[in-house]
Amino acid sequence: MNRRHVLAAASGIAALALVGACSSGGSGDSGDSGDADWSIPDTDPTATIQVLGHQDADGIQEVIDAFNEDHPTITVEYESVPFDQLNSVLDARIGNQDGNPDVFWADQPRIPALAARGYMTDITDQFAADTGVWDPAPLASGQYDGRMWAVPIANSTQLLYYNVELVEAAGDPLPSAAIEDRMTWEEVTERAANAVEAGATNGLLFGQVNRYYQLQPLPMSLGGSAGGTGDDLLTPDVTSEPWVQAMEWYGELFAEGLSPLGVTPEQSDAEFLTGNTAYMVQGPWLLPKLTDAEFEWGVAPHPYFEGGEVVTPTGSWSLAMSAFSDEREAAAIFMRWMSVEHGGGYAANYASPELPASPEGKEQYFQRDVFDSDAGRLAAEIIDFETSNTAVPRLQTVGFVEFEEIIGRAFSDVANGADPAAALESASSELETAWAQYR
Amino acid sequence: MSRSSSAVSAAPSGAQRRLGASPAPRRQLRRRKELFWAVVFLAPALVAIGSLRIAPTISAVVSSLYSGFPGGVRPPVFSGFDNYLDLWGNEAFRETVLRTVVFNVIINPLQVAIALLVAVLMTRRIAAPGLWRTLVFIPAVVPIVGSSIVWSIALRPDGPVNAIITALGGRPQPFLTSPDQALASIMLIASWIGIGYWMIFLISGLRAIPSEYYEAAKLDRAGPIRTFFQITIPLLKRPLLFVLVADTVANFVLFVPIQMLTNGGPQNSTTMQMFNAYRTTYTYSSKNLGAAEVVILTIIMLVFVALQFRLLRDDDRAAKGTS
Repeated sequence: MNRRHVLAAASGIAALALVGACSSGGSGDSGDSGDADWSIPDTDPTATIQVLGHQDADGIQEVIDAFNEDHPTITVEYESVPFDQLNSVLDARIGNQDGNPDVFWADQPRIPALAARGYMTDITDQFAADTGVWDPAPLASGQYDGRMWAVPIANSTQLLYYNVELVEAAGDPLPSAAIEDRMTWEEVTERAANAVEAGATNGLLFGQVNRYYQLQPLPMSLGGSAGGTGDDLLTPDVTSEPWVQAMEWYGELFAEGLSPLGVTPEQSDAEFLTGNTAYMVQGPWLLPKLTDAEFEWGVAPHPYFEGGEVVTPTGSWSLAMSAFSDEREAAAIFMRWMSVEHGGGYAANYASPELPASPEGKEQYFQRDVFDSDAGRLAAEIIDFETSNTAVPRLQTVGFVEFEEIIGRAFSDVANGADPAAALESASSELETAWAQYR
Repeated sequence: MSRSSSAVSAAPSGAQRRLGASPAPRRQLRRRKELFWAVVFLAPALVAIGSLRIAPTISAVVSSLYSGFPGGVRPPVFSGFDNYLDLWGNEAFRETVLRTVVFNVIINPLQVAIALLVAVLMTRRIAAPGLWRTLVFIPAVVPIVGSSIVWSIALRPDGPVNAIITALGGRPQPFLTSPDQALASIMLIASWIGIGYWMIFLISGLRAIPSEYYEAAKLDRAGPIRTFFQITIPLLKRPLLFVLVADTVANFVLFVPIQMLTNGGPQNSTTMQMFNAYRTTYTYSSKNLGAAEVVILTIIMLVFVALQFRLLRDDDRAAKGTS
């Protein structure tokens, strides 16, 4: 009896050691970097490459079919993992160092971190001839330490969407889509309050609630930094006056009931589509979904703080090659096709793509049906302007993974009613600890 | 102590018997055969314990003595106890350890006490006992992911629980969104799942108590409370302590509701060691540091479990005395 108890307890205890088990790896060479000992061949090899991404496999299949028409000898095996798990799956897979995956979807702000960890193949020489194809911001996002690590397949920006009925019910004029009439956050807050008073459930909805990607422009519009300073951007800078002020404004949105608690980024598009939300900040990916909307909608440029700078989010996904890929040539051919050929094969063939990362891709993109309506045409103009004029990349640091997680929790605490200055102070000290390992 | 002395006294007689029947090679052959089959049948379990339990534990301890760049690709270097010193110097980590201990000191006795109460109720003469037992046990059968989702909706600021509170004239509560209530809400959810599960063990323990004791107590005119504390509890000590130890282990490694409902927040109020180790290992990819956190958690858990085994040993002596 006694022994059985000991065994039961011991096995339970040991179960948690499994977390530690994955830490054993560790030996072996780190990914080799960059001598041009290989190049993209003119004739296709016969090969099978494994690709890991966060998008639904069914949607990507159309893209792969189109790739196979151009490159029939290269078989692409695509595997989808949820966005939230991509990082840990990559850790485990690339840690195995067995060439699976060959190519993976890389979140652009994470590229410096992933490159520094030795996960990526240096592709500077192989893609040297293509750098002129992309817009400058997405190109820069794939570079770290003077080398190129990933090719961009998408870009992004943010727009202010509104529900015409709810804005009119609140007695406010419809916002203008003209860049020069860009509204301030102060005005939007007032309008959101009017809408809630007139019966709207949500006055203002952040589509990417509590995510750094969407909230970064708030402190930056007030003159704050992107969140880090110093040579390697590894000194936390999130407790400055602009950051505190921005978070005070953000916290009040929730405290005063203008923004809902508990609507996750995954649920926010559906929330807006129910017709209960007056204003919503969201990316262009909402546009195709709005063709199903049962209410009239409109778009306006992303707001800014009165007297402050105009700053908009940007960045999206790139494709990177694993440092341990055993099919580099085929992998590079796939990456090049996805991001360069036909203005980017991904953007050209995916049913509801993000904004393309190249001017040629964007031209095709704006010809899609969604941009055919009046509101769609206005949206296209705004998107075009923001991506080349007001876009600011996220903090480009090797410590981005920790930064995004820690600052996201601080945002969430503020939304839940924590004191903004205290929440940012605590995030800053957490960052200090987390970033110490990189200095 | 009583056990070891009985083992000593049993040994000579067994040896004598064996010596007496000694020159039978057939018996030896049979013994060898038995041993062979014992090894064959035990092998899968031993291999599993070795590869799934012991090896990972050793590997975690070794890994915790290395420091490396995040990610699993660059080779880590030996750094002795640096990881442990770093963790100890980190206020947030110390708070996490304290929070984990406080959580367990509260939740384990509470869960076991309620499970016992329910188990006693269920073994009384009540109408449709099977139905009630099933109802209490159902939460333990529902996958924890499913119950976490249900509770996340139930405890939303505009969710059904608050609707009931408002209907009864109370003020809506923030639950998982408040640093003061989130940990208590997690305890509620963990207990909702755990109580029914541990109840089953205790019911079987209650059923094993011979009814003569209760009859004797009745003859001595012991009331229900006295009977409970002097008959039920002492005779239930073994299953009770098993439940306490297993429940403690389960709650120290509680993970899913925290990851799904609060992500350690608000303001780190639900960040406990298991979740913290997961975050360090998988979110930040600092595997060596994560291993050190796991080792510390294991040690704290072992201390708790050792304390509980001390109680179990006392129980052994007591049980021997009574039987």
